Amino acid sequence: MATQEISTENNETVADNVDKPTESSAVTVIEKQVQRRIFKIIVIGDSNVGKTCLTFRFCSGKFPEKTEATIGVDFREKTLTVDSELIKLQLWDTAGQERFRKSMVQHYYRNVHAVVFVYDVTKMSTFDSLPQWIDECDRHNLNIHIPRILVGNKCDMLDKIVISTNLAQKFADAHNMPLFETSAKDDGRANHVDAIFMTLAHKLKNSKPMMPVHMAQDQGRLPGNVQVVSLDWNRDRYRSADRGQSHQKEGCAC
Amino acid sequence: MSSGESPVDKQDNVRPNNLNLSTPKSPTVASRRQKVAKIRLALINKPVDISALKQLAISKDGLVSDELRKRAWPKLLDVDVDNIPPKPEPEILQGHRDYNQVVLDVNRSLKRFPPGMEENLRMSLQDQLVDVIMRVLVHRPELHYYQGYHDICVTFLLVVGEDMAFALVDKLSQNHLRDFMDDNMDRTKHMLNYLYPIIGKSSPDLREFMEIAEAGNIFCLSWLITWYGHVLNDIRQIIRFYDFFIACHQLMPIYLAAAIVLYRKKAVLATECEMCFVHSLLSKIPDDLPFEKLVSQAGDLFIQFPPKTLADEAMMIFEKSKAAAKMQRRAIAKRVTKGRFSTILPNGGSVIVSVTVWTLVAAVTAGVYAVWKSNDWGWFS
Ligand SMILES: Nc1nc2c(ncn2[C@@H]2O[C@H](COP(=O)(O)OP(=O)(O)OP(=O)(O)O)[C@@H](O)[C@H]2O)c(=O)[nH]1
Ligand SMILES: [Mg+2]
Repeated sequence: MATQEISTENNETVADNVDKPTESSAVTVIEKQVQRRIFKIIVIGDSNVGKTCLTFRFCSGKFPEKTEATIGVDFREKTLTVDSELIKLQLWDTAGQERFRKSMVQHYYRNVHAVVFVYDVTKMSTFDSLPQWIDECDRHNLNIHIPRILVGNKCDMLDKIVISTNLAQKFADAHNMPLFETSAKDDGRANHVDAIFMTLAHKLKNSKPMMPVHMAQDQGRLPGNVQVVSLDWNRDRYRSADRGQSHQKEGCAC
Repeated sequence: MSSGESPVDKQDNVRPNNLNLSTPKSPTVASRRQKVAKIRLALINKPVDISALKQLAISKDGLVSDELRKRAWPKLLDVDVDNIPPKPEPEILQGHRDYNQVVLDVNRSLKRFPPGMEENLRMSLQDQLVDVIMRVLVHRPELHYYQGYHDICVTFLLVVGEDMAFALVDKLSQNHLRDFMDDNMDRTKHMLNYLYPIIGKSSPDLREFMEIAEAGNIFCLSWLITWYGHVLNDIRQIIRFYDFFIACHQLMPIYLAAAIVLYRKKAVLATECEMCFVHSLLSKIPDDLPFEKLVSQAGDLFIQFPPKTLADEAMMIFEKSKAAAKMQRRAIAKRVTKGRFSTILPNGGSVIVSVTVWTLVAAVTAGVYAVWKSNDWGWFS
């Protein structure tokens, strides 16, 4: 049941290891010595744009059947291999309602390595509030060189789209961000959601981070839903998968 | 629900569980019967014996069945169920500024309904849920909707039906829930600031660990503002907590949060001393915690460290600028943390002293209606 998945996914990433027998297999021992870089990504945008669905899709490979309004901040993570380096993306899925934005989530802006702005392509108001979200980031003194990306979600609802790619692209250009239009729901585009985060992972990996990047000693607990994915990604293929809808701006600040 | 049958009440019929079948007089069944009798007695009294009801709501298994809750909750909240204001016209409900957000949240509340419930019934309950929420908001223009309020309302709806749910939540929204319903969350945030002082009094090392990890307190935000409705999977457990919270001080959910964190101390200390690990460990509540024990520990914590004794410290946290000093301290401390905590602290004893339910009732409810409103826990203007 989807609910179960949502409710247990976090536990997996940080298992209650006290009650578990200590790992003993040789494989685990080797894992323990792997150093990984950890990148912290915050996902923001209005309520109901699909932040929870997108992060869930990326981390668990599925569209959640039953999402709930996010209260506060939820945490998800996924480990990837980028150019044969293991890196871990930590996604902080925040609550969209304004009252939470204003007083609750500041704590989670600290030390982030990237920001994902999400709007709903079927709802103009969510696009209109993007400047506020950008202000919010600026207010938290996020370094301007931190990668930021813009994601238009719910592209599967073809006949309801009200924000044209053109309009969104202009906005993205003006703010020096790459734009991605996608759908957390459409299984056909699921790869696309992966590709978005892969792109980010790639940028992060190759960037000289302005913030200290955490190094984690992986304790050998590779949770069930944290896939170790080998990144077989190349720009051209990705672009074509994109059907020309998104476009990556060269010289973007990351 | 007009039928009077609550869609979630599975415990109305006292029936022995399988394990106890061989024992003719199962202690659970007997004590449950006894409790039912006590609750009925308290309700029959004229006037209703509120203080006995509170004790019964707090003590093991709370008010036992939804049939009894329907009668006891209004008494505990001093709600006149015979004079519930009628429902306004749909246009009025739909014209409210928070209507759209409410609908979005109720649409995403499937998890709150018992699994296996018929879809038609669920959809009609979801419509009623929107109405319950909107009725309160329309009735009290000064209140602001917050995401999570729907988690509270759905619990009442499932137990007592639409009209009474409205009346009860309307009352609660002026008391226990009032501070969540400003146009901002400053007061909610301040309530959360009580968490670390309570934990610290009981287990200084755990507090220190969590502070060094910068775990924050947002992991229990939903616990507080939904009375655990958002985070627990079992509706029966949620309803039992509601008995407890209705009978207690508005900060009790924070004391329960502290009890839960303290209970999981070993697991916390065993995680990496990093915000994300501690946050994600604590933000979910395992299904198999000994909830009755935790309820009574929350009460014990409340007696030992009542809100007033923590107010100054909570205020300090509120005012403290978190930045530089902490970062520095963290950088230094982090290097030594892991080893230090795991070697020194396994027996770092928690000091929770047990008190009786009666003492607790006396402490948490003394003049409670008078103090709810007046922020007796040290909020400033
Ligand atoms: N058609 C369609 N629906 C989607 C998509 N992504 C999310 N949704 C739906 O949109 C609603 C909101 O999704 P959430 O992920 O909960 O939204 P959120 O941004 O996390 O909202 P908050 O937690 O309130 O800030 C849910 O009902 C989802 O089922 C999508 O790609 N396509
Ligand atoms: Mg969400």
